[in-house]
Amino acid sequence: MLKIINGGIETLVEDWPGRLGYLGKGMSASGSFDCVGLGLANVLVGNPSGQAGLEITGGFFEAEFTDDHVIALTGTDMQPTINGQPVEMWTSLKVSAGDKIKLLHIAPTGFRCYLAVAGGVDVPAYLGSKSTCIFGAYGGFDGRPLKPGDEVKFGAPSAELSSLEGRKLKPEAIPQYTNQWVLRAIPGPNTCPDYATQEGMDLLFSRVSKIQHTSNRSAYRLEELPASFFARTDGGVGGSHPSNIIDHAYAIRGALNICGNTPILLVADGPTLGGYMCALNVINADLWKVGQGAPGRDFMQFQLSSQEEAIQARQEQKQWLSEDSLA
Amino acid sequence: MSQGKYDVILDTMPETGSRLEILFRQAGDGFMQVEYGREQRAMLQDSFRMLAVNDIILGKELKGLIETVPGIRTNLLHFDPSELSVDKLIEAVKEAEESMPTVDDVVLPSRLIHLPLAFEDSETKKAVAKYQKEVRPDAPNCADGYNLEYMAMCNGVTVDECKKMLLGTDWFNSGGGFWPGGAFLWPTDPRCAVVVPKYNPPRTWTPEGAAGIGGPCVFTYTTPTGGGYQLFGRTIPVFQFSCKHPMFKDGPFLYRNADRVRFHEVSEKEVVEIYGHVHDKTDYTYEIDQGEIKAKEYIEWFNSDEVQKGAAELKAKQAEGTKKAPRL
Repeated sequence: MLKIINGGIETLVEDWPGRLGYLGKGMSASGSFDCVGLGLANVLVGNPSGQAGLEITGGFFEAEFTDDHVIALTGTDMQPTINGQPVEMWTSLKVSAGDKIKLLHIAPTGFRCYLAVAGGVDVPAYLGSKSTCIFGAYGGFDGRPLKPGDEVKFGAPSAELSSLEGRKLKPEAIPQYTNQWVLRAIPGPNTCPDYATQEGMDLLFSRVSKIQHTSNRSAYRLEELPASFFARTDGGVGGSHPSNIIDHAYAIRGALNICGNTPILLVADGPTLGGYMCALNVINADLWKVGQGAPGRDFMQFQLSSQEEAIQARQEQKQWLSEDSLA
Repeated sequence: MSQGKYDVILDTMPETGSRLEILFRQAGDGFMQVEYGREQRAMLQDSFRMLAVNDIILGKELKGLIETVPGIRTNLLHFDPSELSVDKLIEAVKEAEESMPTVDDVVLPSRLIHLPLAFEDSETKKAVAKYQKEVRPDAPNCADGYNLEYMAMCNGVTVDECKKMLLGTDWFNSGGGFWPGGAFLWPTDPRCAVVVPKYNPPRTWTPEGAAGIGGPCVFTYTTPTGGGYQLFGRTIPVFQFSCKHPMFKDGPFLYRNADRVRFHEVSEKEVVEIYGHVHDKTDYTYEIDQGEIKAKEYIEWFNSDEVQKGAAELKAKQAEGTKKAPRL
């Protein structure tokens, strides 16, 4: 068990791929914002890569283990310590009853840190997933971020703890973080010539945009687009702004919603349906990068991709988040 | 068709006598949008057809198809491309469409859910009061402490006539989304098609079961949340997170696609008592009739002189009302 001393800025129970199959019921998939961070942490401790772990956003998390466990920390380097002693990330560690883990703030790159424990976080699955949907307050640990006094339980490890500790990743399996994230994206469903101009789409696929500080687990907001982005003067029956259309389902996770002039990447907990056009989708295999982008600090750029490339990238990611990545 | 790098239309099916042109739009590597027609229009007959085809697609139990998410004029298909190729998916949709060549073939299973409704109850009144106090004290849609007067004004009718319209039509669910368990409910009778603007800015709180209308759609709030629809009363629970009541044994949702909702007026006391019987005693019996919609019959009825005359009369009143009602 893990007794929470300080939940930090926002610590959530998340798994992967999350709660699939409920978009039409108004429930997005939620799930780990960076599935690579969670996946590699799980692989290190001998869990299936999608097992539920803790997603620590921003930092300042502090907790005490009440039993012996094997854990792994991945993601941004929040200068983790156990009982005040710095510990290594991207490797599996043995912790003992009474050990206190403490994280500081985010590193110059990356935004989220993942803590996996051998056996995974043991919370009841809700509609097929242990992920927390923070905006709807359901799933995970009582549908909310962890707070002082919470006691988080874990499942049974896949092997003896002694055989799971000290596992490392191949150096090339550790993801490279940056402050300017290149996201491969596929245009659609609303592009040129009917909704956007060619010039507008060229701009969308070439410019570098700062992640706005108002971004969260539902929406990553980017810098405004000029009026020349739009091919229409208004949205017809859908509304007065050219970004308006009659409500349609959003292809989340990963759709870029154009809401007024603001492009908004709809991510983990995002809305499943609404009345704004969507110009592109970040490919599934690059969604993890969004979760490591820090609002107000990092930049994003879209790179034109194809379905073939995206499917290939899914396969590669599957391989990446497996024991093949262990050193 | 030009083959530009931003081309997203993967395939099309031509318009027929009873069906709009169909566009298959790319939406990433795990989604495809099926769009009906190029015009932005919201017509129930499009939705009837789409949902009937949707049932056929789901009936195929395609390996790799995760879900379908119908809107009023689009259907979003969510799939795992490592198990199901987009070409195979398009082929399956085309097959389903071709199996329903004429409007006579469009028969849609549709339940009729009877929901008790208390107009202007004290919980939704609290939501309006809170909005006036904390968000917008001068909101014209709350001028008399509630939204019904404003709703009536926008439609050029009296409050009593407005209530009669809300009770006088079945409300069709074209598909859910946006909020957990929610449904977008459209009037089947155009003579009862109340239309109102949404709150500006939105509310910060709405009670569970609040019944509201925004644009042409009715929404019954599934859980306490913010919201922008004009409130007219409160109905019984249509969602239960805990899934304790037998109605919710397979999931927290009451509404299914293609359901029709019919409201009947009851006292606030009765509505409040039902909450106890749904959430605590779990012994309330929902009144639901099985049924179907025959698109051809609906279209004939919709186009009949009597219905069209009534619809035109309402539109005329609404044009007058819109001039008088303050903008939000």
